[in-house]
Amino acid sequence: MTKISKASNTEIVQSTRRDFFRKTAAYSVSAIAATSILSADDENITHHSKWGTTLGDELNKNPYGLPSPYEHNNVRRTTPLLSSAGDMHAAISLTPLHEQEGIITPNGLFFTRTHNGVAQIDPNKFRFMIHGMIEKPIVLTLEDIKKYPSESVIHFLECPSNGAAEWKGPQFNSLQFVKGMMSCTEWTGVRLKTILDDLGVDPKAIWCLVEGQDGSEMSRTVPTEKIMDDAMLVYAMNGEALRAEQGYPLRLLLPGWEANLCVKWLKRLEFGDKPWYCKEETSKYTTLTASGKAIQHFYPLEVNSIITSPCPEKPWTSLKKGDMIEIQGLAWSGHGKIKLVDISFDGGKNWVEANLKGLVLPKSWTRFSYIYKYEGKPLLLASRAMDEIKNVQPTVNQEKKIIGVEGVYHRNSICTWEVKENGEVHNVQMRS
Amino acid sequence: MFKCDHKFIATSVAALVLGSTPVFASSAKKNALDGGMTYSRDRGMYSVYNINEQDTKGMNHGRTPTANELKAWDTDIMPDGTGLPEGKGSVEEGDEIYEEQCGVCHGDFGAGGVGYPTLSGGSMDSLTNQRTAPGMDAPKRTIGTYWPQASTLIWYIRDAMPYAHPKSLSNDEIYALTAYLLAANEIKVDGKEMDDDFVLSKDNFSKIKMPNEDGFYPNINGKDGVENVRKFFKDGKNYGAVGKRCMKNCKDDNATVMRIGIEMKDVNPAYSTVRDLVPVDNSNAHPGKAGYEANCAVCHATDKMGAPALGSKSDWDKVMEKGTTKVMMNAINGVGSMPPKGGNSDLTEWQMQMIVDYMISNSK
Ligand code: HEC
Ligand code: HEC
Repeated sequence: MTKISKASNTEIVQSTRRDFFRKTAAYSVSAIAATSILSADDENITHHSKWGTTLGDELNKNPYGLPSPYEHNNVRRTTPLLSSAGDMHAAISLTPLHEQEGIITPNGLFFTRTHNGVAQIDPNKFRFMIHGMIEKPIVLTLEDIKKYPSESVIHFLECPSNGAAEWKGPQFNSLQFVKGMMSCTEWTGVRLKTILDDLGVDPKAIWCLVEGQDGSEMSRTVPTEKIMDDAMLVYAMNGEALRAEQGYPLRLLLPGWEANLCVKWLKRLEFGDKPWYCKEETSKYTTLTASGKAIQHFYPLEVNSIITSPCPEKPWTSLKKGDMIEIQGLAWSGHGKIKLVDISFDGGKNWVEANLKGLVLPKSWTRFSYIYKYEGKPLLLASRAMDEIKNVQPTVNQEKKIIGVEGVYHRNSICTWEVKENGEVHNVQMRS
Repeated sequence: MFKCDHKFIATSVAALVLGSTPVFASSAKKNALDGGMTYSRDRGMYSVYNINEQDTKGMNHGRTPTANELKAWDTDIMPDGTGLPEGKGSVEEGDEIYEEQCGVCHGDFGAGGVGYPTLSGGSMDSLTNQRTAPGMDAPKRTIGTYWPQASTLIWYIRDAMPYAHPKSLSNDEIYALTAYLLAANEIKVDGKEMDDDFVLSKDNFSKIKMPNEDGFYPNINGKDGVENVRKFFKDGKNYGAVGKRCMKNCKDDNATVMRIGIEMKDVNPAYSTVRDLVPVDNSNAHPGKAGYEANCAVCHATDKMGAPALGSKSDWDKVMEKGTTKVMMNAINGVGSMPPKGGNSDLTEWQMQMIVDYMISNSK
């Protein structure tokens, strides 16, 4: 057997936050070089690795596990554009969808919108109240709530402003900033109906105020019908307590509806027979149409989809003509399950049906996949989903015709990526 | 989960509903309020989830709230005036409180300009503005042009403002601020504009007329409110659900490729998909430290230029006698030979706050 030097050959490149396009371009050149010199041996194979020749870390070095230190760029990102004066207390952080695998967002990457910073609630002092037009008002502690039977369901949450920067045209060259105001989680909690069935909600109480206990006291009016259908009080996500950013210790979950309605740091529900007209259902979260009138109480997130691979962050610059590659993406609808997804390579003139893969659940992210032979030619790559109620994503033009370009909320028109000859991917729109 | 080929939706759904053979999902109906599906809970299933269908009747946890607890939390203020507190305040008083506590962020008279929400100005006519080409004016959604109810304003101010100290205002102060902001928006009460002496209270609140009260649909008021919402969602055309599933030679109004004009690149942390190791961990550093070093240290490291020096307790004690707000305003707007924002106009208000906080907390 040949003796191989123990010297470490894996040089660790120190991070300089260079433009990722340049980096990917550089990598692809070396990848092409590596394959064309067929006889060259890869030192990563012919030499022992550093990690194979040293004792690893103690197993419980991090009692709460952390991602590999190499994954430090897989993080939520913010922009002063989506905030007040660059202030990061009433702003939004977006999920890195380009690194998202499967349909479950890790808790540390769940997008976050707050109106008065992230409240840090002491669970021992946490109280939750249900009152108003009901026979038996109650106060519950967190422990009380956990005594009710729990259910776990997978649902996406999406900010109705997702993609809001793009109404007038493409602005961000990034999947994360085009569609990252959403995430998908396995939520655990109790169905509200289970608790309410015994409390005697007055049939005339067609509305319910849901209010948070953070500094902004975020509140919204919800129809009681939804509260009695699939609404839940959730205290856990992906197997652990809610993260503070997601409303620890308790938030409301209204599957399929605006994340803003799923009030975090929940304080109380009050049943009544009139709507409340909260700040976040009047001044904000109303969709102004070209007529000058605005849609209010616009609850469901409509059918939507986006191709996540390739995308501006994950281009095809390392592909050669003739390579077989998977196109993948996410589709979702607040109205039910995803029925099918079509893909276009020519900006929406012609479409082929993609395959759904993995779990297809109501009001959840659903993955789609299409195997494609890369020709090295420019493409206009788009996806278009249809949901269980047969709603189909509109084109940019169709949506513009009904809503205009100042609606801010509920943008769900077809997204297009332009794949350049060199494999770079750019955010574009097909519109007239 | 079984795969249900869309071409056979009709037959497979029928099979599901009839389901004499084992089923793997509960039945679904398109009858939700929002136009979507509801999923029944039967045969131990909720959609494709297994559930426990045992009866939970009689499962009661928690306790009844006391009268005082209800009073403490049931404080929302509704359009019909329910929940309005005792107290009163004039436009003039509101003007004073506004300047002290709100103007830093919302600008003079609520006119904005410092990056925080604009609270006044614009016209209702602007609501039909559509920026379909560069250089066009945006619709102005302010209290006067857009908000349908005045109750929202007083309720929100009481619970959520001022931003850094929510719930610190007295009832008189919230009436005064509401009066001031309504006056700044030229709102009429009982048909008349509000002058400086106008005093707002529970008694005349219902006389406020918000110009855009009817600017929203569907109509959610009255006992048919929820039914109107249901009707609205029944027809996809109402909310933009007008997509068609065309597969070949689809037409799209002469759509062409629109590319990014000026790319928004100001993101944090900067874009990168590189997998490497970060050299040093700066996460414990004060969020204002880096900004101080880059922008302010030139003048503030010592007192040579007449600037209060970092680390000098006496210098900063003297500065702080003016009060934090004034000092912040001076740092932002400049004072004496101190240039606005230290000369770097790109610094946001928030970054400035962090930097000044860093300077103060390192000079104690
Ligand atoms: C430190 C900055 C700051 C100060 C000081 C401040 N606000 Fe605000 N204000 C904000 C921010 C940020 C928001 C938006 C919050 C959100 O995103 O929900 C806001 C929102 C508002 C709104 C709603 C605006 C809209 O169009 O939806 C009103 C009204 C308001 N503030 C009134 C006040 C009043 C009255 C005061 C003084 C008592 C005050 N603010 C002080 C930062 C501030
Ligand atoms: C060109 C020199 C210069 C730079 C750069 C500079 N300052 Fe100053 N600063 C001064 C001087 C001089 C004063 C004293 C002004 C006076 O009281 O007349 C001062 C005063 C101050 C004060 C006290 C204001 C008061 O009310 O007394 C603050 C706070 C401050 N600076 C913050 C900053 C911050 C933050 C930066 C960087 C973003 C900065 N300065 C950059 C020169 C500078």
